[in-house]
Amino acid sequence: MRIDALPIVVGLVLGGLVHLTTVLALPRLALEDAHTRLERLGPANQVHMVPNPTPFETVLPRMDPAFVHAVCRYDLTQAALRVVVPLAPDYLSVSFYSRHGLPYYALNDRAAAQRLIDLQLMTPAQRAALPEDEEITAADRLIVESPTTEGIVFIRAFVRERGVLDAVLERLNEARCAPMG
Amino acid sequence: MPRRQAAQFLKPGSPLRVIVVLIAFVVGTLSGLGLTWLASARSNGFGAVQLGAWTVWPRSGTADADPYARAAFARSGELPLERADGLVFEAVSTDSGAALDGRCETRISGRLTAARFWTLTVYDSRGRLIDNASDRYGFNSTEIVWNPGGTFDVTLAPRARSGNWLPTGERDRVVLVLRLYDAPIGLATRSGEAVDVPTVTQVACP
Repeated sequence: MRIDALPIVVGLVLGGLVHLTTVLALPRLALEDAHTRLERLGPANQVHMVPNPTPFETVLPRMDPAFVHAVCRYDLTQAALRVVVPLAPDYLSVSFYSRHGLPYYALNDRAAAQRLIDLQLMTPAQRAALPEDEEITAADRLIVESPTTEGIVFIRAFVRERGVLDAVLERLNEARCAPMG
Repeated sequence: MPRRQAAQFLKPGSPLRVIVVLIAFVVGTLSGLGLTWLASARSNGFGAVQLGAWTVWPRSGTADADPYARAAFARSGELPLERADGLVFEAVSTDSGAALDGRCETRISGRLTAARFWTLTVYDSRGRLIDNASDRYGFNSTEIVWNPGGTFDVTLAPRARSGNWLPTGERDRVVLVLRLYDAPIGLATRSGEAVDVPTVTQVACP
């Protein structure tokens, strides 16, 4: 190997390692990830309306302006969380993201049995700790397991035309998330 | 012999040793960080499906998203649409590969594969909406004016056009995002045949 090529070759191998490490570490190191941006809207375990994006200000980049959004950042350290979202006149979805923004579950209005989505969010340990008799009744309640203790519940409601905006907002304002027990 | 030469330079006490190690570190750090910066800015991970001008990352909205997808979303702060919620198509260029330029007139035309409904939004290169007098940032399938036969035309232009006009505010780079909500389509095949997407063509450019 020629002497002038050696540091370059060693450097590129090193570069590969730096690249892989930083890509894997980025979700933990990112300063302006979704969780951090949504933290500014208020405390965890409460539903907050997400202001509609404008050309000058947007809580998250690339939000769909045809929707209104609400968010519940959760922290399951103390207790499991009950999430109740009334259905809106049109399409509505509830998506679940881990602490670092990885989507792990979603459901929409078509999956809801009644006129509302009612579910319980818990860690695998909290689910395992459910009493036996409760496990039986658990068949008719919806339980979502969160892979991380913290995370994000994001509610999207479609606004077909400006005329229905108030009706959609009214329903979304009734969405709740609160620790159980 | 060159090989022995290298070994000699790297011996402790060799004046070149420090420089050689330094160069390796600088090259390593710069190339590694540069690659990460590019990868997290330009891509949403592996498994992209190209359909005309549109790119889809079917796995980025799932818990199976690869590290590149996770890095990209963590960096931008975007919450990706869950796959069960919808499918996202993104275009940064026309069908022929020209970058989408907000100063030009671009036509989005054709039909779209079945979904419960869809939205089409234009963003600037930083993911923000583009300011305009009519507060028009996109169209959804229920409000757009359809052509007879189930096709539609949208014109992307800096100044008002008749029909479905999307203002671009003369930004040099714009991004089109098409979201199909509650879409039952599968994208198992890389070719993505049987998925109808509209064409994106540049009509005029001053």
